[in-house]
Amino acid sequence: MYEPRIIGYLCTWCSYTGADTAGIARLKYPANLRAMRVPCSGRVSPELIMRTFDQGADGVLVLACHIGECHYDSGNHRTAKRLPVLQTLMAFTGLEPERLRLDWVSASEGERFARIVNEFTEAVRALGPCHWRQKENWVRYLDLQTKTIEILPSEVGG
Amino acid sequence: MSYTYEIQTKARSLLESKQVDCVIGYEIGPRGRTRPAFIYQPEEVERLVWNQACTHNLTIYLKEQLDPQQSGRLKTKEQTPRHAAVVVKACDSRAVNVLLAENHFGREQLHVIGVVCDGIHEGAGEVGNQRSVRQFPAADPPQFQARCQRCIERVPVVFDTFIGERPSNQKSGMYENVLDDLDCLQAMTPTERTDFWLSQFDRCIRCYACRQACPMCSCPTCLYERDDSLWVGMGIGLNEKRTFHLGRAFHLAGRCIGCDECERVCPMDIPISLLNRRLIQEVETVFGYRAGMAQVPPPFVTVLSDR
Amino acid sequence: MKMTAPEGLAVWLDRLAQEVNLIAPREIDGVLLYRPVRNSGEIVWEFTRPLLSIKEAFFPATERLLTIEKIGQQIKLTETLPKGEQVIFGVRPCDARGIKMLEALFTDTEPSDPYFTQRRENTTLIGLACRTMGATCFCTSLGGAPDDPGDMDVMLYEVENGFVIQVMTEKGQALLSRFSLETDDISENESEFRASYLCEQAERIVIPEMNAWAVKFDDPYWEQVSERCLSCRICAYVCPTCRCFDVRDEDLLSGNGHNQSERIRCWDSCAREAYRRIAGGHNPRQAKGQRLRNRFLCKFDYYPRQSALGTAACTGCGRCIDACPVNIDITEVMQHIVEVSQ
Repeated sequence: MYEPRIIGYLCTWCSYTGADTAGIARLKYPANLRAMRVPCSGRVSPELIMRTFDQGADGVLVLACHIGECHYDSGNHRTAKRLPVLQTLMAFTGLEPERLRLDWVSASEGERFARIVNEFTEAVRALGPCHWRQKENWVRYLDLQTKTIEILPSEVGG
Repeated sequence: MSYTYEIQTKARSLLESKQVDCVIGYEIGPRGRTRPAFIYQPEEVERLVWNQACTHNLTIYLKEQLDPQQSGRLKTKEQTPRHAAVVVKACDSRAVNVLLAENHFGREQLHVIGVVCDGIHEGAGEVGNQRSVRQFPAADPPQFQARCQRCIERVPVVFDTFIGERPSNQKSGMYENVLDDLDCLQAMTPTERTDFWLSQFDRCIRCYACRQACPMCSCPTCLYERDDSLWVGMGIGLNEKRTFHLGRAFHLAGRCIGCDECERVCPMDIPISLLNRRLIQEVETVFGYRAGMAQVPPPFVTVLSDR
Repeated sequence: MKMTAPEGLAVWLDRLAQEVNLIAPREIDGVLLYRPVRNSGEIVWEFTRPLLSIKEAFFPATERLLTIEKIGQQIKLTETLPKGEQVIFGVRPCDARGIKMLEALFTDTEPSDPYFTQRRENTTLIGLACRTMGATCFCTSLGGAPDDPGDMDVMLYEVENGFVIQVMTEKGQALLSRFSLETDDISENESEFRASYLCEQAERIVIPEMNAWAVKFDDPYWEQVSERCLSCRICAYVCPTCRCFDVRDEDLLSGNGHNQSERIRCWDSCAREAYRRIAGGHNPRQAKGQRLRNRFLCKFDYYPRQSALGTAACTGCGRCIDACPVNIDITEVMQHIVEVSQ
């Protein structure tokens, strides 16, 4: 059964705290979300998002402070401008734009947080597994034969 | 008076009066190919030419000529030329503005020889029949490069010396495509687009010529070439190549001037300028900002204006 | 020597494509490359040379060397050697000569590289002689020839009504025994035929001898010619003999809970700025001139000194001349060295 893997980039000062608020109020939201705390949504760069999709995420959710409320003054301004353009670029190369979402959650908006995560998870579930990442085993001309050559006891603690 | 003669004359006077240490222009090599030239002595200005094969964007050499910190050259830092002249077309001149806005060097270090270019021929900079023509749908095989056909400015937007005549029908405005390639891609389904791009990136050998040919790509260590594979693996595989190209296109959003040199130098004829042009369209539409028209920071580094 | 008709050859190639991995010149989106073909119809017959050499089939752009798995306290290493047979059709003599040069290092020098060697053993080369030399070709100046069969397993020469076939090695003979091809004898013997197989040959250029390069180590010429260099990697990647690579361990994303990574190697080039940067940040080839000089010395000085072949690591294919975006020309560099050596 396909369960979407959602990675969320939550900024420390607003949306991550908003997630905490949701937790305290015992609001339910899907466990598909893996929260990653960043200092500010402005830190979320295109290479970070693309690395996330490259590693198999089905959806990426970036939650930032409302405009005017950024702890660092204007970090979320940058995000507001950059992420839609990144979405355009990735859509241009075949990623459904619904898989990348930017939204605004403040520290007290627990309900809003839960609602957005719910919506996004369902939207990504409806889209099915993400086919962005290609399986690569470097074979171009010849097949690979494998031969196990050693099993070594590790000296480093496991 | 031909442009060649004017460029040579100006170069000679700049070098003789020691206003500049180096003139970066074009010359013709023994096989008849036009290529970049670096002139340091007044006696050598006869090498300089101007023709419709002057496709290279010479502003890529400005950083290493003018910035002693960048000087990874055999000369010592003291010997690094601090003043240079460069021959630019309209598109290249916009790159000068972007580089100045980003403080790569000072305006006083540069003498811009701006040329009113009549268009550069398709196939310029290439030897001959070794390359094949791109298969992308185009109305007619254009004689001029696509970027010349959609050129709006026609005359350099920044210059110290102006060579040529201003055309009477000078336009201004925003990016307009001449081929229907962007529309073709927009009309495809996401799956078709994925397949298209994967088949293009399959040919890519990560030679980085596209990045090296871009004046704006000048990070000391490219994010996608880190020794610790932080953002992208080292391998020449589909995921890595796609991430590199997309990431590079994004880093150029609002800075790319659409000279298409990245596409010209690609040995595999990958139409990567599609990515850059799509973002030029997007940035111009959303922010009303055309790169390189003035020495101002691009939209992504500024805060939202009051709306 | 024997001859075969074009139709017979096409049918033979179709059969080959079914049984083994047949690699031949193919046009992919307008670019000519050696790639696997499914039938003879996909093969391009009229060409100077494909953009990349057949080096790819022996030394791929990226290759997995082994996988490393951590299972509890144990570490399991799994070697991934290539297997499977490949036949490369339409090989130009310059490309085959390039493989010979790579062999001298990868296989004949201890310790030998099992990946390259395995692929070389599993590959049969079917050459196709050139009818004319390209504008940038100079194989004849380096001891090669457009119709040189020396490094092939089977050599084909296109003539008016078909192809003349010359079997060069046992491996080639084995292939023709396994997959029979209808042939007729030809009247000339080998030397008569080779003499009559006219191919317009380009004028020879003078190649500087091995000792001429190092004495010009401090020549300011290197800095001058490298000023327009972009420090991309095109020249090294298209070259049939360039062979530098980088090795790195990278994580594999596996779902089975084991901590897996793979050791991969991929193409690298001395032209890139960070190539010789070492721990601590020192870079003895920081300047473009130093890197360009290294490229030429490696080909014409270091390789002949270190390899048993003793020849320069250049086949005269001319790919670097065509592919360089700023027209840095190996023949111009050689001409300069010849001039200053007099």
